[in-house]
Amino acid sequence: MHIMLNNTPLQLATHCTVAELLQQQQLKTEGLAVAINNVVIAKQHWSKHQLQNNAQVQLFQIVTGG
Amino acid sequence: MLHIANKSFSSRLLLGSGKFANPNLMQQAIQASGCQLVTLALKRLQLDQPRDDLLSPLREMNIQLLPNTSGAKTAKEAIFAAELAREALQTNWLKLEIHPDPRYLMPDPIETLLAAEQLVKLGFVVLPYCSADPVLCKRLEQAGCAAVMPLGAAIGSNQGLQTRAMLEVIIEQATVPVIIDAGLGAPSHAAAAMELGASAVLVNTAIATSQDPVGMASAFAQAVNAGRTAYNAGLAAAQPHAAASSPLTDFLAIL
Repeated sequence: MHIMLNNTPLQLATHCTVAELLQQQQLKTEGLAVAINNVVIAKQHWSKHQLQNNAQVQLFQIVTGG
Repeated sequence: MLHIANKSFSSRLLLGSGKFANPNLMQQAIQASGCQLVTLALKRLQLDQPRDDLLSPLREMNIQLLPNTSGAKTAKEAIFAAELAREALQTNWLKLEIHPDPRYLMPDPIETLLAAEQLVKLGFVVLPYCSADPVLCKRLEQAGCAAVMPLGAAIGSNQGLQTRAMLEVIIEQATVPVIIDAGLGAPSHAAAAMELGASAVLVNTAIATSQDPVGMASAFAQAVNAGRTAYNAGLAAAQPHAAASSPLTDFLAIL
């Protein structure tokens, strides 16, 4: 399966959930937000939400700011 | 106490977390300021760069985190940013800011009101950064915003209360907290804002880019307290002529 992760192509061997993708990428989930095809995915749905082929996955992080 | 939505804060100073030389200095400045509300921002995750653990120290300090929508140029973008921020921090509190022009970073009043109306309906506690426009502030209040955050001067400009006359009208009319945001460059500016009757002030650049951010955070905290105490005490009225404080008798006339 093929997805775009922050505009970088990524091949996934099998179907996986948002939570599994973050785990594979070794990303801490604190301060992280996920949108798929420009729709924000609630944190509580990350473990159930299955990625579809060609999904545009965008990850965002909290940073300092005024 | 400062009451915003369903929460109370003993400090009337809000801090922005940007522009500090490092996270440790930011943490120390926050501690020195005694503030209980700190703003944060969002950006796209850079997969190839390590992430600072920004949040653990703030969580330990029991601070209300206030993510902003900086970077949004339209109401649509701000609502998307708000939804991301809510998931990233698991809070529905939001500093709404929409400033399409980078030179002056003036908030877009039309997009801000549009976004505020929708975000309130989506369940957000909305604190909008806005122009010092009494009509706009009233409209934001009527839209259900939990506070209004009119600017003193352009973001990061350190110019102080350029909008003073309009802030007085906003404060007089408001039934939600008025937090003076942006442009406060010195503790005296913060004290002046509090003397006007502002509910709180938000400071970032003036503290973070000073020579000693920890010392400056403490100075701002004292100024905010002094200004609020003065407001509560009721300032004596300004007079056009002198009014003697000592008795003007003719006891020296014998000379």
